[in-house]
Amino acid sequence: MDATAPQEPGPPILDLWHPVAILAELTAGETIRTRLLDRDIAVGLDGEGAPLAWLITGEAPGGAPESLPAIAAYEFAWTSLGTPPAEIFAIPECDEPDRRNLATFSVGVHVSAPRAVENFLDLGHFPYVHAGILGQVPRTEVADYRVEVDPETNELWALDCEFFQPQAAAASTDGQMSQYTYRVPHPYCVMLYKSCPTDESRFDVIALFCQALSADRVLFHTFMSVIDEVSSDEQIRAFQTLVSAQDKPILENQTPRLLPLEVGAEASVRSDRASVAYRRWLGDLGVGYGVIPAGLPDDGS
Amino acid sequence: MTAPDPASLLHPVAAGADLVPRHVVRSRLFGRRLAIWRADDGFINIWEDRCIHRGMRLSAGVNDGAELVCQYHGWRYSNRNGNCTYIPAHPGEAPAGALRVATFACAERYGLVWSGDSADASPPSIPALEDAEVLVLRSLPVNAPVPLVLEGLARYSFRPTAALGSDIPVATSADAGNPFSVTVTATTAGAASSVVFFVQPADAGRCVIRPVLSPAPAPGERLVTLRHHAGALEELRAQLEDARPTEIAVPLPVATLEPLRSGGTGGAAGGRRPQLQVRVARKWLCAEGITAFELVPVTGELPSFQPGAHLDVHLPNGLVRQYSLTNGPDLTDVYRIAVKLEPDGGGGSRLMHDSVHVGDVLDISTPRNNFPLRRDAARTVLIAGGIGITPLLAMAQTLARQGLTWELHCFARSDDHIAFGEMLDSLAGSITRHVGLTPEQTGHELGRIVRPYAPMNHTYVCGPGPMIATARALAADAGWPEAAVHFEYFKNESPRDDTSAFEVALARSGRSLRISAGESLLDGLRNAGVDLPSSCEQGACGTCIATVLEGEPDHQDVYLNGSERAAGDRMLTCVSRAKSGRLVLDL
Amino acid sequence: MIKLYDYLLSANCYKARLLLSMLDVPHELVPIEFYPRREHESAAFKKINPLGHIPVIDDDGFILRDAHAILMYLACKYDGGRDWYPTGDPRLLGEVASWLQFADGTAATASAARLCINFGYDFDLEACQAGAHRLFRVLDEHVWFREQEGLSWVASAAAPTVADMALFPDVALSEEGGISREDYPALRRWTERIQRLGGFIDMPGVLPVAPLPS
Repeated sequence: MDATAPQEPGPPILDLWHPVAILAELTAGETIRTRLLDRDIAVGLDGEGAPLAWLITGEAPGGAPESLPAIAAYEFAWTSLGTPPAEIFAIPECDEPDRRNLATFSVGVHVSAPRAVENFLDLGHFPYVHAGILGQVPRTEVADYRVEVDPETNELWALDCEFFQPQAAAASTDGQMSQYTYRVPHPYCVMLYKSCPTDESRFDVIALFCQALSADRVLFHTFMSVIDEVSSDEQIRAFQTLVSAQDKPILENQTPRLLPLEVGAEASVRSDRASVAYRRWLGDLGVGYGVIPAGLPDDGS
Repeated sequence: MTAPDPASLLHPVAAGADLVPRHVVRSRLFGRRLAIWRADDGFINIWEDRCIHRGMRLSAGVNDGAELVCQYHGWRYSNRNGNCTYIPAHPGEAPAGALRVATFACAERYGLVWSGDSADASPPSIPALEDAEVLVLRSLPVNAPVPLVLEGLARYSFRPTAALGSDIPVATSADAGNPFSVTVTATTAGAASSVVFFVQPADAGRCVIRPVLSPAPAPGERLVTLRHHAGALEELRAQLEDARPTEIAVPLPVATLEPLRSGGTGGAAGGRRPQLQVRVARKWLCAEGITAFELVPVTGELPSFQPGAHLDVHLPNGLVRQYSLTNGPDLTDVYRIAVKLEPDGGGGSRLMHDSVHVGDVLDISTPRNNFPLRRDAARTVLIAGGIGITPLLAMAQTLARQGLTWELHCFARSDDHIAFGEMLDSLAGSITRHVGLTPEQTGHELGRIVRPYAPMNHTYVCGPGPMIATARALAADAGWPEAAVHFEYFKNESPRDDTSAFEVALARSGRSLRISAGESLLDGLRNAGVDLPSSCEQGACGTCIATVLEGEPDHQDVYLNGSERAAGDRMLTCVSRAKSGRLVLDL
Repeated sequence: MIKLYDYLLSANCYKARLLLSMLDVPHELVPIEFYPRREHESAAFKKINPLGHIPVIDDDGFILRDAHAILMYLACKYDGGRDWYPTGDPRLLGEVASWLQFADGTAATASAARLCINFGYDFDLEACQAGAHRLFRVLDEHVWFREQEGLSWVASAAAPTVADMALFPDVALSEEGGISREDYPALRRWTERIQRLGGFIDMPGVLPVAPLPS
């Protein structure tokens, strides 16, 4: 299933906005080439600094590229290969004046976008994959939490999540319970709201925007919107670099690379309820790209 | 020539020498990815290279000597049977018995490790390798299909050692019984030496040549011989990989490798667990009045267990008794239990002591765990009274192995009454013996032990009923939350009242039963055809638990703690009854 | 204190971090944001290294660039040219030098493949991967024969040398560049031996290994 069977994205994916470049890496008058959903595309900026995108068809570099819709949102340029909605999903927190919005780290990962999203939704791996940062053995318990699909927006939420986080300061031996809320507004995008260390009434936003290069390869783009007057941009990016780079070898060792939607294809326990709900939600949306749809055999290769 | 079905044969998947301590080899056979590891007890595990939880490669996992630990969420899988023994996200719960990785057949011969999907198959028997000591030569992966490689090997210009000239007559033979090997024999001065090239079919376009030389060269010739063959094979590989695919004379035999035991991802099956037959392999007096037994499987491997688990032993006279496993995680080929002689008991212990002998076959249940050990505690306090040490011994070994902080307190009449006393001495940890104390002194010591409570501390108490009651009360006084105090009664010593009569409605089947005075709810359910598993039938083990949808249970068990009782949503059907006139159960 | 101009995900910087840790030399990491800001190519950093690459060390004003040069310098200065860089043994020193040269090859292939996949560098990925496999075959065979000789490390010494440190990151991180180590069982054992050395530190992409029984 992995590399052999080409998959067609189909309308549920084609009609979405997809991240294709970090705005700060674009220069007016120049284009960069990238891939999206098995297609070659070019991304640039117009004179006003708004993103532009083209589909590159055929062999000839001089051939007329087909213009694609493009928008700027959350420090990224987004495009679509179908008929996208007028607006991208809202992250209202980003408009708050004291927020810092940053594209933090992007890395290529040889895995499907849904596997990457599922990993982002997962608390149980913190003490193993992000030891000393987001979790610490033996404090491995995942307390029960709630999962809901918002009937208005059809977004998936995981609520009242809590996990033990070791203290960042090396001198301290105590950790604390950190609160998390997860939101999946898009099959390939996921964000979490985490209690802000400097203001407990507000939440930092950390998001993963997957650019599906193909069914089993992604560019793993991360974005943060934080209330932080202390850390430098470099420090914030360095933190996200470390965390993402720790996830990469795990994701690349998962087999199959596509996410199996069949119930029972992989064993799930209570702490996996967000992952189980995400798989069902993808199936309900009719997503067939980056996944092994329910009912198809998963040969494990 | 009719070739045998390739999948019915065993194929080499590694060299025995590749399986160094605490390592996991990554291999492949007919496209199946394999994780291969040797436990500290020498057993070789060949598993599908995929954690059943989220597909992480187990060949990237940690071989801790007794278990393989997945790097993603720390799921632990047992040596031998591949059962999941611990799920760190849920430290207080025993993993469902159905959770296991897919396992493949394993055999060792000629210094190689062999696998396939038939438990009955053996590695090929090659006459040239039978009569002398062999030397496993360096294996070589080749990016070429099996038939092409076999053809190439048949042309291999073989000289047993580098010292001999290239004009030695060489005989090549393919073994009809094993189409995946080529034997090349050279005879010099009347002495024959052979190399057998086994070819591991990794997948359609890739294989691994695994050569074995016989007889082994003299020690002084060993390295030069290894280099000689490695060099010659390297040349052959270059030719094979340059060859065009059109040169393939025979297509690759199609085979699909199926695991002996497929991985399981579901929850535990309901109803009674399958029974198992074991043979008594060893019986000895492990303390004053306590006999230890080691039980080995009559066939196959023993199902896995977790610390705290117990077995039902079906005695020859029809009695069923529960005994805790004392095994640490590294002991997976026997079940070790201990039986205290209870002169006033129901005769089970007398029978075990006097009438069960080495060589006898016993029927047992698979291990069940109603006393699971959390491994996320900052400190774990184990408190044993008498024979209650048995499950705690399993826990202590697990905690010691994982480097966690723990202490064990053994209360006994004397040092001679402490089961497996010599094993305690070998455990690195804080072990305190409290011997010959009066009940008052015991209470005083328990009070010292359980105080003070600190967050993330857990205590496990196993022993006589009064001692558990005292320890629980003292812990509660010292501020221990109920969820941090775990206990296992061997029996329910409190008096039971079965004089009530009540109505039971079964929500799933829509039926209704009448339970009369003197009849247990469990028996009433069974008479109505509801097959509920049970074990101790004394309200101690928790096996016969049922979910209560409506009505107020009359709890008479010692299994549920206070808050679980108060919640009233679960009950033990063997002893508990109804306070309300009617119960609705989720059955 | 030694300053190391460093990027967390750089295999070359990791070589220097590893040896500093194994030698237990106190040091300060100065992060250079290779991605996304390409700080190593900034005018400010080019004053430190006109070539615009990392790692670079600053040992009390003595500035030295290039991972292998840094390894040799650190081993001579803080290990007296004994085990890690055996200056007193010409044959051994020759072996170490030849494997350092070999590590330039793994950097140009395995490490380059990793840059392609991680950060979209415009190299010929397939050529990089094929080149890495050619080198890994040679290294796996070499390490396998070392094991047959009763030795554990790349050079024929009882103790590891800077050659092991120079080769380890590219091998251990190869799968990020799409280069599987399934066909290199001896290399998989060798990387585990290195991970069990006292003072070993990991980096993202290097998964922990089991300790040996005591």
